[in-house]
Amino acid sequence: MDNIMINVEDLRREYRRNSIFKRKRRVVKAVDGISFKVMKGEIFGLLGQNGAGKTTTIKMLTTLLAPTSGKCEVLGLKTFGEEKKIRPHINFIFGGEMGVYRRLSARDNLRYFSNLYLIPKKEQNEKIDRILKLVDLYDRADDPAETYSKGMIQRLQIARGLINDPDIIFMDEPTVGLDPVGARMLRDIIRELKKAGKTVLLTTHNLSEVEELCDRIVIINKGRVVAQGTPDEIRGSGETLEDAYVELVKGVNS
Amino acid sequence: MKLRVLTSTMRVQMKQSFARPMYRFCLLANPILNTIVLYGMYRASGESNFMTYVILGAGLMGLWGCICFSSAGDINRERYSGTLALIFATPAGFQSIVLGKILGNTVLSLLTLVISLTAGVLLFGITPVLEDPVYFLIALAALILSFVVISSVIACILTLSRKTELYMNCIEIPLELLCGFVFPVSLLPSGVRAVSYALSPTYAVELLRMSILGVTDRTLFFEKLAILMGLTVLYALFSILLYRRIDCRVRIAATLEVA
Repeated sequence: MDNIMINVEDLRREYRRNSIFKRKRRVVKAVDGISFKVMKGEIFGLLGQNGAGKTTTIKMLTTLLAPTSGKCEVLGLKTFGEEKKIRPHINFIFGGEMGVYRRLSARDNLRYFSNLYLIPKKEQNEKIDRILKLVDLYDRADDPAETYSKGMIQRLQIARGLINDPDIIFMDEPTVGLDPVGARMLRDIIRELKKAGKTVLLTTHNLSEVEELCDRIVIINKGRVVAQGTPDEIRGSGETLEDAYVELVKGVNS
Repeated sequence: MKLRVLTSTMRVQMKQSFARPMYRFCLLANPILNTIVLYGMYRASGESNFMTYVILGAGLMGLWGCICFSSAGDINRERYSGTLALIFATPAGFQSIVLGKILGNTVLSLLTLVISLTAGVLLFGITPVLEDPVYFLIALAALILSFVVISSVIACILTLSRKTELYMNCIEIPLELLCGFVFPVSLLPSGVRAVSYALSPTYAVELLRMSILGVTDRTLFFEKLAILMGLTVLYALFSILLYRRIDCRVRIAATLEVA
């Protein structure tokens, strides 16, 4: 039991949207009673269609969003109520070009986040240089991020996500916008993280990436779990994971 | 460690703010334009003490404008650039980060006072008068503290809403009028004056004016300073309570990011 890093039980999250006439309130169930566990050192895939509830789940796990009900624990601590104890030990990377200070250089971005993660000053320079080399941004480290390509910004996001040497790293479609070389670099980083005993929770639409990396996966659709297990278990007798995935999702939708 | 959070946030904030053309306009051009407009108004009204209302008034308007549009607007900028959620979830604590941002903006924005003075002297030949420099520095420190605490409350409330830009436009001019930045509060109707004296910058502005003209009644100066400090402490306590509450509310209402 000590190896459970993430524990989600009957987790729900609703968004309440006011209409123009305030009396009418629309309730959207983004996550509707999902359960799964992630063990230490696992690469765990959270799969689903757009709008399935993956990002909402990640946001609850990363302490950014309060669950409506159910259990949502990271490192045995509640993500809503005990978030201060969780935050130093986790980090997250959201895909896309957001999440960096574009007027600052990569080095300044990382230095700033080092300070926000309360990393001792004497460790910062060595750590920042090492991470910049890891994501292949060292040569452009002092240029403003606004001059970077989409892929470089995404790599800077990855670097930021590693700055506090997190025990658990959440990645929400981290290869979006990355070219094949950048995507392979990220997959290598994920493998290295696993070797170092880190836990990774990953969402992606790239199923070959899932097959290559993930120890176990959970597939959600319309906020509910439709399947979970190892990629082999999910694939079953089907030819590919993609075939199995499409069948599962289509089955629920119909 | 927390001090490093404050200083690094201040540095990042100053760099980020100064890189924005709109901020540079507010910081550099606004005080000059305010000085020109106020000089024209006060010259026509027969007022001869341009230091208290024209130069100080223009500088304060510029200072508040910069603080208001930056400290409040930054929450929205962070939200739309996807960094609000990132900084919110760091162990540094959101309140320390917001305080660092506000301090950075306020320190940089003090330049508006120097620019309005320079503009007044160079454009209109206004003779700088400062009868009590020590009292002026005390009043200025009190003003900065008061603005920092007010900005902190505003920034905190604006974290809850995505309509930040609308609200920050709504608070800029009213505060300038209510706190008597460019005319004495005594000119306002009595009902409105009650609101003015519930706002700490009103006392700070009066203290600054007293120190420029010369403090003839020290008891009155320190009475106003005590009220100002009392209000500032009250605002600060309110701000702390608010941050605790909002730390939960933003995660329930999901307003850290743009959907």
